[in-house]
Amino acid sequence: MLERRRRLIWIVMGATVTLTALWSAGLAQPANAPFTDAQAAAGRTAYAANCASCHQGNLAGVGEQPPLAGAGFMSAWGRRTTKEFYDDIRAQMPYGRGGSLDAATYQNITAFILMANGAHAGTQAFDGTETVRISAIANGQVPADIATPRRAAGGGDEGGAAGRAPAMTLGQTLVGNIKTYSPVSDAMLVHPDPKDWLIYRGNYQAWSHSGLKQVNEGNVDQLQLKWSWAMNEGGENATGPTIHDGIMFLANTSNTVQALDARTGELLWENRLGPLATRAYSALRSLAVFEDKVYINATDARLYALDAKTGKVVWKTDIAEPGKGFNETGGLIIAHGKVIVGLTLCRGQMPHCYISAYDARTGKQAWKFTTIAAPGTPGGDTWGDVPDDMRAGGETWIAGTYDPDLNITYWGTAQSKPWMQASRRSGTASTLYANTTLALDADSGKLKWYYSHAPGETFDLDEVFERVLIDHGAQKTLMTIGKAGILWKLDRVTGKFLDAKQTVFQNVYSGINKKTGQLIFRPDVLAQKTNTWISSCPSAAGGHDWPPTSYDPANDLMIIPLNQSCNMMLGHDVVQHTGVVQPEGEERLFFAPGTDGNMGRLAAYRTSTMEPVWSFQQRSSFLTGVLSTDGNIAFVGDYDRTFRAVQTTTGKTLWTVRLPTVVQGNPVTYEAGGKQYIAITTGLGGGSPFSKPSSMLGELHHPDHGHAVYVFALPDKLAGKLN
Amino acid sequence: MRCRQLAVLAAMLCGGIAGGAVAAEQRFATRLTAVAYDGATRANVQGDGQVLATLDGNKLTVSGRFMALPSSATSARLYSGAGIGVPGGPILDLQLDGQADGALSGSFTLNSKQLTALRQGRVYVQLNSQKAPEGNLWGWLLPEHPFPGVDVPEKGQGFLPQLDVPGNWVEK
Repeated sequence: MLERRRRLIWIVMGATVTLTALWSAGLAQPANAPFTDAQAAAGRTAYAANCASCHQGNLAGVGEQPPLAGAGFMSAWGRRTTKEFYDDIRAQMPYGRGGSLDAATYQNITAFILMANGAHAGTQAFDGTETVRISAIANGQVPADIATPRRAAGGGDEGGAAGRAPAMTLGQTLVGNIKTYSPVSDAMLVHPDPKDWLIYRGNYQAWSHSGLKQVNEGNVDQLQLKWSWAMNEGGENATGPTIHDGIMFLANTSNTVQALDARTGELLWENRLGPLATRAYSALRSLAVFEDKVYINATDARLYALDAKTGKVVWKTDIAEPGKGFNETGGLIIAHGKVIVGLTLCRGQMPHCYISAYDARTGKQAWKFTTIAAPGTPGGDTWGDVPDDMRAGGETWIAGTYDPDLNITYWGTAQSKPWMQASRRSGTASTLYANTTLALDADSGKLKWYYSHAPGETFDLDEVFERVLIDHGAQKTLMTIGKAGILWKLDRVTGKFLDAKQTVFQNVYSGINKKTGQLIFRPDVLAQKTNTWISSCPSAAGGHDWPPTSYDPANDLMIIPLNQSCNMMLGHDVVQHTGVVQPEGEERLFFAPGTDGNMGRLAAYRTSTMEPVWSFQQRSSFLTGVLSTDGNIAFVGDYDRTFRAVQTTTGKTLWTVRLPTVVQGNPVTYEAGGKQYIAITTGLGGGSPFSKPSSMLGELHHPDHGHAVYVFALPDKLAGKLN
Repeated sequence: MRCRQLAVLAAMLCGGIAGGAVAAEQRFATRLTAVAYDGATRANVQGDGQVLATLDGNKLTVSGRFMALPSSATSARLYSGAGIGVPGGPILDLQLDGQADGALSGSFTLNSKQLTALRQGRVYVQLNSQKAPEGNLWGWLLPEHPFPGVDVPEKGQGFLPQLDVPGNWVEK
């Protein structure tokens, strides 16, 4: 009996070893899959047209777009069924346009993706109802002709796509000859004329507030459209104009820069720097002006200086190695003669992300600060044993701010990656300099101080957004709010924690040490394991995200666009290698408890006391920054195409207009020819703030095109009387 | 139509409460919305609903309506988790009447653990259905609070569960 059992064990072990060896050699073939060769072939064409621009021609994924072939795909989908995968892509893809293809196309794309993971076609056609476990038919081995994609005639990977810009000629299409532009000095940046909008958030302190008041609470309901301008389609449009001397400088997708007459919308020059946008992601959120140049950190991580009068390129330099997927999205600032920029999408590759500065006149790099602490460097021990090439994150999605008196530039950084503690294997350590406020000397890049907001953060809840500089008497403070929806107040001279306030429902943290600012995780968050679902409110869309706040100094009010949603998140067992992007987790969305299904919230807080003054909720998410003015009004736009003005002190809506598609970007105001104008962009694309309402607010519809800028002002008669 | 039905239901529930309320009673309410979903499960977790619960001492009375489920309702229960918005395990069965549209109800005597969970906002209603046997709609029972309406500003921060429901936030 014992002998028979031993013999059986040996037989089983032998069979296991043989099968393992065969499998490893790629010889063991899974069962035929429920799709046909014809479907997979048609699916390949459809994939190229609809999916490849984000997920790549070889299905390897890049940046935030997960791989659809190989170990990463199998890790995410191996245990689920063909029907679940089909239902998933049909509901959500192409990005931002879920359900827009016909059923046969989704079935064919499913067949192609299965084939790209080693599944073999059979005789049964896939009709979307087959519930075959994916790991039973696919092994993640990518056929060679897919792993090395065909090259399209234009030189890129095969395929067009959702988010891909229509073909157009690149280069300068109109050379300008602007006579009225006057050079922008340091002093003008420190004390900007309210008639201009020189800096991303209006001033160095990121107040997004204007001293103009021709348009005010008493007449804002009479605003009229004065002119509009269609912008490039494709990519992610979430920008805000820069204004100087009655000229509007506008960043379009595909790194196209235009100068327009800010009174009439007449084109003065245009330079299409390229490359063409290939995906509905990565916005050019701002330009910058200094002396006689306009600056743009293009989405391919190149920095350009253009002649402000003609639009010609004066100099250009690489912020990071071209062609490696590094990305710019958050705009830039000019401080003390230097152009300072961040860097994003550094995942799965070296070097780490960094903030860097360049001489504004020559483009020569002045300094660089790496936002991930390497082993053996200060802060390097905060990652535990995680090897250097597996330390990821710390992106700078939003341009920093600047205190000219202290000569310090302030930047926020994104979370560490992989998202979840259990996947990252760094515990609750602070993983510097992720989710941190960095205070850097503007001349040298030297670290003056840092504050780690959320050590051990685990749900993709960045603390990366705007740093707003506000003085309370003699105390110089820095205020910021991240995805967790916690409004922070720090001493910006020393980095000392001063106060914190919750602004939306969150359940990730169950407490705070009010002396140190250290957050206390909900106990089950600390006990997390990989491959287990765990709740996070807010979701990765963030209680607050990139649409920035405004600060009205007269009323000491910070007006904050907020979003309310939750998710369940599951972290994978991630094995990171340089050059490999793996899906780090999965998420399932739900509405936040206590919100009655309302995703949008706008709230005003008095910054001296941190007390809430007013708030209101609505179904739709807000997708613009807030612009406030001395007219006691504040402007904000949303996913449901509404652009509105509210009374700053009460939150009461005073004026609304419905625009053709999603209102996304940063509203600005300026004066030209004695008239005050309000400008706002419409736009599509983007990460979680755009994709979550797309998924959750199914009853709200918008065209999947319509990038444009709209400019409003009072009727001529009324504006004339007010001057 | 669905919104109107829900509004009528909410008005009826609120009216009933206002008419019959006594000081000792605590009222909890929730809107039922889709459980956590991804693209693969989204089509099966549609629908809407509203639930009201009244606590008198340790006696809990639950009543509510649901509508527009993609498949017939199969069961409804109260669940308790580790926090507001944190799913957990079933604790009490509710009675169910209807299919895609219908009502749910129940009366219970809560033990101290269940009472604490309810008062801390950790109890939620979950409705299961044929195509979503592990959850179609859910909603956390939170203290009833005034809602001024969509786009209507209110003074202060409005209702924030972690601050307005005891036991969810500690400041040291």
